[in-house]
Amino acid sequence: MTSATAAPATETNQHYDLNPDIFGLFLDPLRKYSSGIYATPQTTLAQAQVAKLHFVADRLQVTEGARLLDVGCGWGSLVLFMARDYQARVTGISPAGRQHDYITQRVAEEGLGDRVRILTGYFEDAPIDEVPPGGFDGVSMLGSIVHMPDLGHAMSRARSLLRRGGRYYVSESCFRNAATRAKFDVGPGLAFVRKEIFGWGDMRPLSDLVEAAEDAGFSVVSVDDLTNDYWRTIEDWHANVLANADAIDAIQPGMAAILANYLEIANAGWGYTTKHYALTCKKAR
Amino acid sequence: MTTSQSSVSPSITVAEITAALTAIVAAELGVDPSSIRPDTDLRAEQGADSVKVLRTIAKVEREYDIELEDEEVFGASTVGEIANVVYRTVTAS
Repeated sequence: MTSATAAPATETNQHYDLNPDIFGLFLDPLRKYSSGIYATPQTTLAQAQVAKLHFVADRLQVTEGARLLDVGCGWGSLVLFMARDYQARVTGISPAGRQHDYITQRVAEEGLGDRVRILTGYFEDAPIDEVPPGGFDGVSMLGSIVHMPDLGHAMSRARSLLRRGGRYYVSESCFRNAATRAKFDVGPGLAFVRKEIFGWGDMRPLSDLVEAAEDAGFSVVSVDDLTNDYWRTIEDWHANVLANADAIDAIQPGMAAILANYLEIANAGWGYTTKHYALTCKKAR
Repeated sequence: MTTSQSSVSPSITVAEITAALTAIVAAELGVDPSSIRPDTDLRAEQGADSVKVLRTIAKVEREYDIELEDEEVFGASTVGEIANVVYRTVTAS
């Protein structure tokens, strides 16, 4: 376990650097802060998140011993899962220091220290000796590229880190087209989310992501529409926030209302203004 | 709302839809239904932002089991306009 570039808790990651216990009160047991995949109307949040991790493993074609890099690794759900269930060797990177501390503890508890490495810092600036070019079989970004201002650089760097034939998985919330982005990017809903939750974030349309992937040299393997799955995921988070509002506010007064408002704003837009896509690419040459 | 089942009857009128829509809008904006009139411009109403308008539209679509066109979702502004759009869609289906 190494601490790479020390990142200041800038506004972009303040939300993610909150007390991890807050997220334990509304996320699934793995604390995966991105969309699940719901197979049936009875599927639970916990089941949906495990299904999603298997889905990502399938898209990345993860095999035993695979070298993976998870960019924006959150509280380590994917990192720990791939190391444990797929015996992969996984590097996670996130700018949020408290996430690093949380994952470090989980890695020790599960005895995965020989297969997991966590870096604290920004992916775009991570030093080459920590993330060597061509050193990975798969790179994943689940809901993190939205926070990276230089899309072209992020995708070029992801491609440079992959071996030939390696795969790149990115799932992201997107405005459904350029016109919708132009109209709603300046709306009060997103202004609230930026101010209270995310700091900087740009929900680029899928076409922008595909264009950047192609410009970086990737081949596109597949696009999956996970919009309805994210809607259900957020319905489940929202219900948990309401059920645990007192406990959340006890950790950080006022946070339950902010979270509830954020989740309501997010779920109002799905299909109308926003989509959630999984884009899988390959370093074909 | 306690049910997702459509409450549409074959003989539904614009007035009935307007009344139901008024209740939905009032609940969404957190205001008294008596303050909502057919010419109330949702997008100009204090407390109504694009998010609340979308939530209102989504509830209407679920309630009447319809799917409105984009230009209707993003174009209609007043309660009366939305009621007319819903009426046309419900009676055409």
